[in-house]
Amino acid sequence: MNPTLTVLVYSSVAAAAAALGILPFAGRDRSVPLSWVGWANALAAGLMLGAMFGIAEVGLDRSLLAAVGGAILGMSFIYWTHRISRATDLDLNSLENTSPEYGYQVLLVQSLHAASEGVAMGVAMSITLELGVFTALALAVHNVPEAAVLCAVLLSRGIRLRDASGLAVVANVSQVLLAVSTFAVLGAMPALLPWAVGFVMGALVYLVMSELLPESYSQSGHTSIALLTSVAMGVVVLLNGVLL
Amino acid sequence: MTPVSTVFAYGLLTAAATGLGAIPFLFVRTVSHRGVAYANAIAAGLMLGACFGLIAEGTAHGSWQTIVGLNVGIVFILLVQRLLARYEVQIGSLRQASSRRVVLILVVMTVHSFSEGVAVGSAFGGGMALAGLVTVAIAVHNIPEGLAISAVLRPRGANILQCVGWSIFSSLPQPLMAVPAFLFVEAFEPGLAFGIGFAAGAMVLMVFLELLPEAYQKERTPRVARIVSATFVAMILFQRLL
Repeated sequence: MNPTLTVLVYSSVAAAAAALGILPFAGRDRSVPLSWVGWANALAAGLMLGAMFGIAEVGLDRSLLAAVGGAILGMSFIYWTHRISRATDLDLNSLENTSPEYGYQVLLVQSLHAASEGVAMGVAMSITLELGVFTALALAVHNVPEAAVLCAVLLSRGIRLRDASGLAVVANVSQVLLAVSTFAVLGAMPALLPWAVGFVMGALVYLVMSELLPESYSQSGHTSIALLTSVAMGVVVLLNGVLL
Repeated sequence: MTPVSTVFAYGLLTAAATGLGAIPFLFVRTVSHRGVAYANAIAAGLMLGACFGLIAEGTAHGSWQTIVGLNVGIVFILLVQRLLARYEVQIGSLRQASSRRVVLILVVMTVHSFSEGVAVGSAFGGGMALAGLVTVAIAVHNIPEGLAISAVLRPRGANILQCVGWSIFSSLPQPLMAVPAFLFVEAFEPGLAFGIGFAAGAMVLMVFLELLPEAYQKERTPRVARIVSATFVAMILFQRLL
């Protein structure tokens, strides 16, 4: 298969996986306990850290200064997109806030979040195609609990199940665009790779620390959050070690 | 010097380097509520970064052993935490939750030094040049660990000498383990990946169970996120440099 096509296919699989986020709500009452939201966030956080581990381990070479620059860019990117979308201090998991503005904000933040994941996939594909496929699949699994959180917010606003599932996929389309374009740019300019690896490290860890983990602790117990995050990360790292 | 005392001396050197991590706290006297959050965030970033480095090294020795070690480490810290919650642990005038965090980080860091000691000792099996290199690498890498320990101890009322003392204490397993590892390199080799995984699991659970929740509780999320991310990336790159 043509490499660019591979990127397109696997990043699309990852985005489509978000549709599965409605599964926990398939029951009659269309709602889940708040602690599930926390667990979904912790699971997503662990999977994301695990996916980043592979990129950091293989992708970092000797040009560490470029990686530092990239990491600063990645963190600043998330910081400024939060500022601009006025999401810096926003509770992204609110099930009570039903203002229209909040709905748009949550979808926007989700799209930006998915964009960074897309960059991660594109970078991983540029390192080796195997790592790229692995990263895309890890992030596809990560997208399921993440979309479940999004669906919890959407359903609490009275949106239909089918529409919530569709919106979750739409919010992840930016992933496909960014994965393909990152891969194309790095193919044309391989010298940018250390910058891109740094960018992914900075952006992903910042996303975990600012969006996924903070609210999970108040939604469920500390022990369950810590366990889920560590074990999810450990599983991805194990698979990374065994398969690649 | 006999070979054994040389190995011991090198191990002691790496342990002493841990004490250097307390130096920044020479200039910080009183620590506010917010300062605790910052210090926790720094320690969390450093430890998470260190654990990435450990896992990468462990998987080089054996993936499965590393992962088994990782899970045993996670369970170990959970048990220690439960144990500390059941018995009143009181250090000086610290409140109970604070005492628990202090004891936990000391246990985690001390336990993880065992595998570093083994690394120093076995490196001597590969000749003096390699041994020197590994010793310097571990000594330098110990400094941020001392920083992480002091970042937890200092805001909770420990003075600078105690920070230095406990930092060095946490690395004492290094000289102690380096000698038997040097003498029985072959016997220790299969256990190394397990030990490294154990250390990583203990650290990662400590980060998510104790350090991060308290940081989020005491300071606004974006600040915590920024500090954790920055120290995390810095720690990973720093390990690459060695």
